[in-house]
Amino acid sequence: MAATAVSTLERVESYLPERSLRIEELAEHLGLRRAALGVFRKFYGLDRLRFDPDLPLSDLLRPAARAALATLPDGAHVSYLIYAHTTQAVAPPDVEVAQALRADLGLESAEAFALSQQACVSSLGAIDVAGELLRADGDPDAYALMVTGEKAYSPVVQHVPNTAIMADAAAACLVTLDGRGDRVRSFVTRTLGEYAEWLELTPEQNTEFGERYGARIAEVINQALAEAGLALDDVELVIPHNVNLLAWRQTIKELDVPAEKVFLDNVPRYSHTFASDVFVNYTTLRDEGRLTDGAHYVLVSVGLGATFGAMVVTHHRPGEPQT
Amino acid sequence: MTDRQEVISAIEKGLAEVLERQLPDITEDTRLFDDLRLDSSSVLELLLLVEDSTSAAVDPETLDIDHLRTVRSFADYVEGLLAAEEGRT
Repeated sequence: MAATAVSTLERVESYLPERSLRIEELAEHLGLRRAALGVFRKFYGLDRLRFDPDLPLSDLLRPAARAALATLPDGAHVSYLIYAHTTQAVAPPDVEVAQALRADLGLESAEAFALSQQACVSSLGAIDVAGELLRADGDPDAYALMVTGEKAYSPVVQHVPNTAIMADAAAACLVTLDGRGDRVRSFVTRTLGEYAEWLELTPEQNTEFGERYGARIAEVINQALAEAGLALDDVELVIPHNVNLLAWRQTIKELDVPAEKVFLDNVPRYSHTFASDVFVNYTTLRDEGRLTDGAHYVLVSVGLGATFGAMVVTHHRPGEPQT
Repeated sequence: MTDRQEVISAIEKGLAEVLERQLPDITEDTRLFDDLRLDSSSVLELLLLVEDSTSAAVDPETLDIDHLRTVRSFADYVEGLLAAEEGRT
């Protein structure tokens, strides 16, 4: 297999817990004033989210992972299981989530590990890493399974001041090389270490980060498009993270595109689900028949820390000839 | 009709609630981010509170945070909203 083989996304699946709340129901839990919740609703565009403290992490991760694995062709095997998450501690210290997930999914022959260094961009980063590992191995029947999903288990994790109310969701993506699925055309990240303190930034840093958020997202989107040899006009839709509408309005202005070019329908439905948003949004669009064969899409996320990431893919429906 | 002083009073009242402390003396030149150390969320909280206590109606689609940097620009923005509101009724 050539070292230039292209990573392809063979199947994307997502899972959302059934328990759905209005953000106001979290006021006491998060210690948020009425006006603060009003800001999240009116300006940030949040409404409902999925949040089920009683659902074990393994039960959150399993459905999407199993559904993606069910599409693995006969004779193929999973060489890598990559668990991508945002919060560094997602389970008690004696639980290695990637290893537990490997056992749960019956993937004993896969090498399993976790990635979290790019926070909410880790899932896109994991797809990039999966492609590199598969290219290095050169095994034409090998696949990698990226699984993402974590729980907003504490108010400290759930409320990101000035930014988001986090919610529960999971997703999985089956990756191979030169397959029949979506072709990864480029992946660009930019990490700005001056924001490494995550939630401990000074007010000045927070303001500056917020003010430049849209411009920085636009930068990585444009760079990813340039590397893919495409322009924004060639793109059917930007599939973003669900951080909030304020940030995306700012980004839409920077990109100078019509608002319809960015898929934001899930912001009021699900809010920001850590590293899963892009894949949750992808499955919504696919299930609504809104992904066009042969069209180009940009998957975008931003991680605290801070990493800005954009991946350009060309969509291919199973069974459609490659273009 | 709400006059300028009423808008400024609504801003002062909102600021005391957002900052959860007694306000220092503020003037129209007071900078909300730099002098009072509000962040983007608390400035928006202030805007919601002022919206509640006047009849201004903010459209989140057209809001520009630059309108909210000083007490003067904040009050100008709210007065603009009120004038637009009056024009409609």
